[in-house]
Amino acid sequence: MIKKLSKLVKSFTLSELRTGLKITAKELVNKKITVQFPEERTPISPRFRGLHALRRYPNGEERCIACKLCEAVCPANAITIESEMRDDGTRRTTMYDIDLFKCIFCGFCEEACPVDAIVETQIFDYAFESRQGSIMTKKRLLEVGSENTQVINQTKFEDAKYK
Amino acid sequence: MIEIEINGNVVKAKAGEMLIQVTDREGISVPRFCYHKKLSVVASCRMCLVDVEGAPKPQPACSTPVNEGMKVHTQNDKAKASQKAVMEFLLINHPLDCPICDQGGECELQDVAVEYGSDISRFSESKRIVPDGDIGALIQADMTRCIHCTRCVRFGLEIAGMMEMGGTGRGEHLKIEPFLKEGIQSELSGNMIDVCPVGALTSKPFRYELRSWQMHSMPNIARHDLVGSNLFVQTYKGKVKRVVSADNDLINETWISDRDRFSYEGLTHKNRLLEPQIKVQGQWQQVSWKVALDYAVKGLNSHVLKHQKVNQLGGLASSTATMEEFYLLKKILTEVGCDNIDHRLNVKNLDNVITLDSNIKLGALEKIDYALIVGANIRLEQPMINHRLRKATKKGADIDELNVMAFDFNHPLDTKNITAPNKIAPTLAGVLKSIMISNTQELPDYLLAVEVGEVANNIAAKLLNSRSSVIILGEHIINNEDASTIANLITQIAQNTNSKTLNLSITANTMSANWVGFVPQNSGMNVNTMLASDMRGFILLDIYPQYDFHDLETAVKAFTKDDTFVISLNSFKDDIVAGYSNVILPIASVYETSGTQLNINNDMQSYTAAVKAPDEVKPAWKVLKVMADLLALPSFHYADSAQVLAEIFHQPQTKHTHDENVNLTSKHHGISIIWQNSPYSIDAVLRHSNALQKTKIGQMNSAYMNQASAETLGLSADDKYLGVPVVITNTVADDCVFINANQAVNTQGQT
Ligand code: SF4
Ligand code: SF4
Ligand code: SF4
Ligand code: FES
Repeated sequence: MIKKLSKLVKSFTLSELRTGLKITAKELVNKKITVQFPEERTPISPRFRGLHALRRYPNGEERCIACKLCEAVCPANAITIESEMRDDGTRRTTMYDIDLFKCIFCGFCEEACPVDAIVETQIFDYAFESRQGSIMTKKRLLEVGSENTQVINQTKFEDAKYK
Repeated sequence: MIEIEINGNVVKAKAGEMLIQVTDREGISVPRFCYHKKLSVVASCRMCLVDVEGAPKPQPACSTPVNEGMKVHTQNDKAKASQKAVMEFLLINHPLDCPICDQGGECELQDVAVEYGSDISRFSESKRIVPDGDIGALIQADMTRCIHCTRCVRFGLEIAGMMEMGGTGRGEHLKIEPFLKEGIQSELSGNMIDVCPVGALTSKPFRYELRSWQMHSMPNIARHDLVGSNLFVQTYKGKVKRVVSADNDLINETWISDRDRFSYEGLTHKNRLLEPQIKVQGQWQQVSWKVALDYAVKGLNSHVLKHQKVNQLGGLASSTATMEEFYLLKKILTEVGCDNIDHRLNVKNLDNVITLDSNIKLGALEKIDYALIVGANIRLEQPMINHRLRKATKKGADIDELNVMAFDFNHPLDTKNITAPNKIAPTLAGVLKSIMISNTQELPDYLLAVEVGEVANNIAAKLLNSRSSVIILGEHIINNEDASTIANLITQIAQNTNSKTLNLSITANTMSANWVGFVPQNSGMNVNTMLASDMRGFILLDIYPQYDFHDLETAVKAFTKDDTFVISLNSFKDDIVAGYSNVILPIASVYETSGTQLNINNDMQSYTAAVKAPDEVKPAWKVLKVMADLLALPSFHYADSAQVLAEIFHQPQTKHTHDENVNLTSKHHGISIIWQNSPYSIDAVLRHSNALQKTKIGQMNSAYMNQASAETLGLSADDKYLGVPVVITNTVADDCVFINANQAVNTQGQT
């Protein structure tokens, strides 16, 4: 009985509407939290697992030694590697493909890599223009690596102490 | 039988056997590195330490004999602590390069380290690094990884019979390395890759290509000798990537020859024949299978069948064909109405052939106490059979040879009898005579005039004194003027001394050819008659005349005749084949087809295809079946090769009768030539496997003769004889040239 009565009073006095408007009025003068993507970006944890990259050593030599541990550990079977002995006698990949449609961004490949060659960067806003675009080839992976060397080094450094 | 207790369970054991043999049989895991079931025990790595009650210190399981009532703990604290300690020592110098090591994933050290190693290394000093030399075309050495287990050294010493690897230096400076600059050259060397528990010795052709977990392993049978070794073919994406041995104590124990291990490389050679081709007005055209087969069948019809010239069709096969293929080719010709089939392409005189039974099991060869080798370089021709003989010599057996040249054996020979080819039969006759005189038997007429020399007396005495002996006849005799006499003498000698015989004058799958009767039975022509007569059609199965025929020119001339229609089934491109064929059909090679191999012990081993042949390449049995269908021959309804085999079983076995004549009157004068393809050139796949061809055995290409023969022939050491470089050595008998060639040889003009 009392419940019904209070409901009746509330609806006639527009009390709920007023509470709502009060919040609106308050937020009208408060600092905005909306981010204008892509002009503005939210901060990302250094541990974020985005697009993959293959890294190089400072002298330009690619890190990957074709051990195929990332291929073996990948739960989604997204990685395909072919290897050979390069002319200088070192072990190198001739093909290194990651199918981003298959990848579940678990980060296991990065975890497995003994030479920190394959890493996941903070890049998450990428698009493909064709079906084949989902395949990150060795060339593209190395490009991502070179273009973002600084950021990658920085984030990996920040995260290292928790590993 | 005694009883011992392991980890609280009572198990049975044979008195005197080593503890590790018992635990292995019972499936109790004991880590080990230096112990290998087929090698001697050195107990040097100490990884197998276990706790034996009553012993003050842990004992190595590999060298502790079992005793009645012994109580052993393999997993208690004491055992574990010692295993852990040994592991830590082993890892001190082992590099952390598993990610680039080809053994990674199938490494005994990795496996044991996961179980017994500690997570953190306490070793902060510097690690040892060993520089590697090139040790040959087949094996890659990374000696920094070596843990000094000496398995490879013992393998060389005990199995390969050449101590090519050895330890130099002491302590920290101990290095395992080949003693010679030329590296590892044994014909069994690939087994070192299998015995090495770590990645110090790995396969060179396979280097850095794949991880062990990426490949499928399919059981298969080796095709290059009379043994039919069991092996695993490891494939990746439909390509053969590696071959490793499989265990079969009755056949190859746990070893395989390098020939069987590395021949797979030939499969991907750029010389593979990939498409059917037909020759129209002298021009080769690549066509579809349908067009090619139609053309082939039309050709057969118009050249042979239509003219009722059935008897002018011939079928020839090389010894590498499978049993099913021999049978189907034979059946096609029989159904068409002729019997002109043969596989004995390299025999000069088919009225003078070797007929000799093989009646000793491979395992029994180890137990003989005397062997006589006649005309065989057995180590290179039949490595796995030689290995058994070697084991016999280690138990004290005597081996004599009666050869035209002193070959390099890897076991001691009692006497080397280097005999001119025309003296072999008289010597064996002398042996028989000497035996019959000792047995006080009546001598047959042909022996009356035979002189018994010292060599013959010697051999006869040994044969008579031995409890179990074997006489081995090899392939150098096939073109001997006295071939059949030699074989018959050996049969008789064996009968009179209770010896066994082993016929190694054949190779590959010849046993299958004989089984299905792939030789003319009734009115048919043999290969030499075919080549000499006016044939109008040939079906040739995997034949490369410059390697397979004793006389290249006659063969090519016979195939090239204008009105002769030649259908060739080959796996590799070849100019000479292209020169005379009208149709060339690409067929599957080893590991690409299903089939059956019959080995020297009559063990029939069937195998399935490990990989699919390249796109337009078909298994020969299928090609023959479809050809038969197109020829409208009845009863060629097979869905797979197993059905062909089933039919073979229902055929009456062809009984070979052979004369037992001994003819010692042949008076051969002049210089005999014994021509042999070098061991890694005996079939097309081997000739195309790059790594094998780079080895010392693959490079064998010499015409050996002694000074006197060289003078007679007017040759000096820089010359070539029949296109092969001359080597003058006094290890060759008089009046004889022994040729080992890895190239096509034309032996025209043989005397
Ligand atoms: S992130 Fe995970 S799923 Fe993606 S490639 Fe790496 S291992 Fe595979
Ligand atoms: S990326 Fe790393 S884990 Fe993957 S193959 Fe290369 S080195 Fe090995
Ligand atoms: S090379 Fe291999 S088999 Fe030979 S001693 Fe070293 S670890 Fe043992
Ligand atoms: S296996 Fe026993 S000491 Fe090496």
